[in-house]
Amino acid sequence: MIKAQGLIKKFPPNDFVVIKGIDMTIKDGDFISLMGRSGSGKSTLLYLLSTLDRSFEGKVHIDNRDVHQMDVKEVHALRNQQIGFVFQFHYLINELTVLENVLLPARKAGRMEEALPFARELLSIVGLDSIAHKPSSSLSGGENQRVAIARALIMKPKYIFADEPTGNLDSINGNVIFNLFKKFNKDFGTTIVYVTHDQEFGKLAHTQIKLADGLITTN
Amino acid sequence: MMFLSLRYLLARKKQSLLIIVGIMIGTAAYVGISGMMLGFQTVLLDQLVNNDAHIRISAREDLLTSETMGSFPTASHVFWDIPPSGMKDSAKIEYPIGWYQKLNNDPQVLAYSPQVNLNVIFRRGTLSRSGRLIGSDPRLQERVTNIQKYMVIGKFSDMGQTGSRIIIGKALMESLGARPSETLFLTSGSGAPKPFKIVAIFSTGVRNIDESTAFTSLSDAQNLRGSGSEITDIAVKVEDPYNVSEITSSWKLSSREKILSWQEISASILSVFKTQDIVRNSMTISIIVVAGFGIYNILSILVTQKRRDIAILRSMGYLPKDIVSVFFNQGIILGLIGGLVGLFVGHLICRFVGTIEIAPGRMGSDSGHMTISYDVIIYVKAFAIAMLSSVFSSIWPSLEAKKLEPMDIIRSGGQ
Repeated sequence: MIKAQGLIKKFPPNDFVVIKGIDMTIKDGDFISLMGRSGSGKSTLLYLLSTLDRSFEGKVHIDNRDVHQMDVKEVHALRNQQIGFVFQFHYLINELTVLENVLLPARKAGRMEEALPFARELLSIVGLDSIAHKPSSSLSGGENQRVAIARALIMKPKYIFADEPTGNLDSINGNVIFNLFKKFNKDFGTTIVYVTHDQEFGKLAHTQIKLADGLITTN
Repeated sequence: MMFLSLRYLLARKKQSLLIIVGIMIGTAAYVGISGMMLGFQTVLLDQLVNNDAHIRISAREDLLTSETMGSFPTASHVFWDIPPSGMKDSAKIEYPIGWYQKLNNDPQVLAYSPQVNLNVIFRRGTLSRSGRLIGSDPRLQERVTNIQKYMVIGKFSDMGQTGSRIIIGKALMESLGARPSETLFLTSGSGAPKPFKIVAIFSTGVRNIDESTAFTSLSDAQNLRGSGSEITDIAVKVEDPYNVSEITSSWKLSSREKILSWQEISASILSVFKTQDIVRNSMTISIIVVAGFGIYNILSILVTQKRRDIAILRSMGYLPKDIVSVFFNQGIILGLIGGLVGLFVGHLICRFVGTIEIAPGRMGSDSGHMTISYDVIIYVKAFAIAMLSSVFSSIWPSLEAKKLEPMDIIRSGGQ
């Protein structure tokens, strides 16, 4: 469970307030969409909740652990073991193959061998097992995003945070991605929080949170 | 993180290869040039150390003054009409027995040889050459220097203890047109020329020694000089020739004689060695520093190009120190490969240069080939320079990569 209390985020140089005091709770196994207009603070909120941005006022507790109280090693271990990220720009490492990209978090954790069968299974689920040994630089946008999802899931994380995961994809590939999210949420119980500006995709979530001007307007 | 570093390097084969070649050239140049220069220096140093005494005790060549000629204390009205001037005509070791006792009792002294050194004119028919005659006991002289090593005809002991026999430098003999067993006439400037028979020939490879020096027995040199049993020098060999300055300093405190170490005598040559070393090190370090700048540039560009990768790695739990390793390892791998290949290529260069034939006696060679030093310290230094250059040029871009915050990169869309 992730709990945020009095969350405020300001940006330098003029301390421009983007998140203006948000209280929210994300229950385990939930499937949440964050929606809102550009500049509403939805991506910023996602990064605050996911530990990528720890420079804020207020409190964020992940599984009862205060994010501010964690040291660098603890935060990185948490990201490695419990959190998976999917970004709008999929950020695969072009010099690696598809399979190597998927295994990157496991490589950091020193659990390559035990993760290898699951990596192949994940690639099979996302429909890319036939190109596991191809360089990731040769993939299409949709394939890239599916690899990024497999990579986010390789450590069987408790939480997946996705920032506009379909932002660069056509509707067919977008549907594929959301079906994958739904499947992992259902099959693995993974808590999924995603940011989208697409109303259709937003409505697919169990919990829809709308933001406007740094505040939650609808929950 | 080595896995990622290798992948980044292999993805840029051309750039990586160019950097490796740069480091290789610098390392090979250091090994090759050092091998040649130090080979030459080692042989020359060996000659400097062992061809002559480690320490030379010589008679003081004081200028004459009124005081040194004695005085007339009771006759205050006696004055010099023309005061004495110039040098004493017969410099000598004042108390050689005392020196012999001192040298016999000094544990650092391995051997010593009393000598009479005098400038002479060698004459054969109408030809004459000026040079230096060294009178010594052949058994003692052989223990002090390695002159026997340079004998080309006869043995050093052939000159015996007396009998007016000389051992002459090959170049001197040739310039006089003489041959072994011939008789030369020697004069020290005063007295009639005396005949000396050539019994052996030496060639050290040092031209100014070979064309001006001859050896004879101590008693024959004393006779030629006309100064009885006086000696002008004592040549001393010590246990550690590279630690002579301490010995000479302590001896100088208790003696009026001129005491010079081989290092003081050869100071000008040793200073040339130092200059050679400075040039050698500067040149090769410059090459490697240029290669180091290559590493720095490539890694700096790579850090900028790989901002997205840094962001995703950090979001996956890779620590800042892991990011440092990804980039730092690349510099180290380039330095390691370039350094090792450079050592091998440098060694091959040395082996090749070592086969080049040169005139015996030149470039410090006794064998007719260039003398090359394969001292392990050359290889260690070359490799250390390559690695240091790689470390310093890799560390800054790697630390820059560490400072990048994933949020800043993601917010900028990975740009």
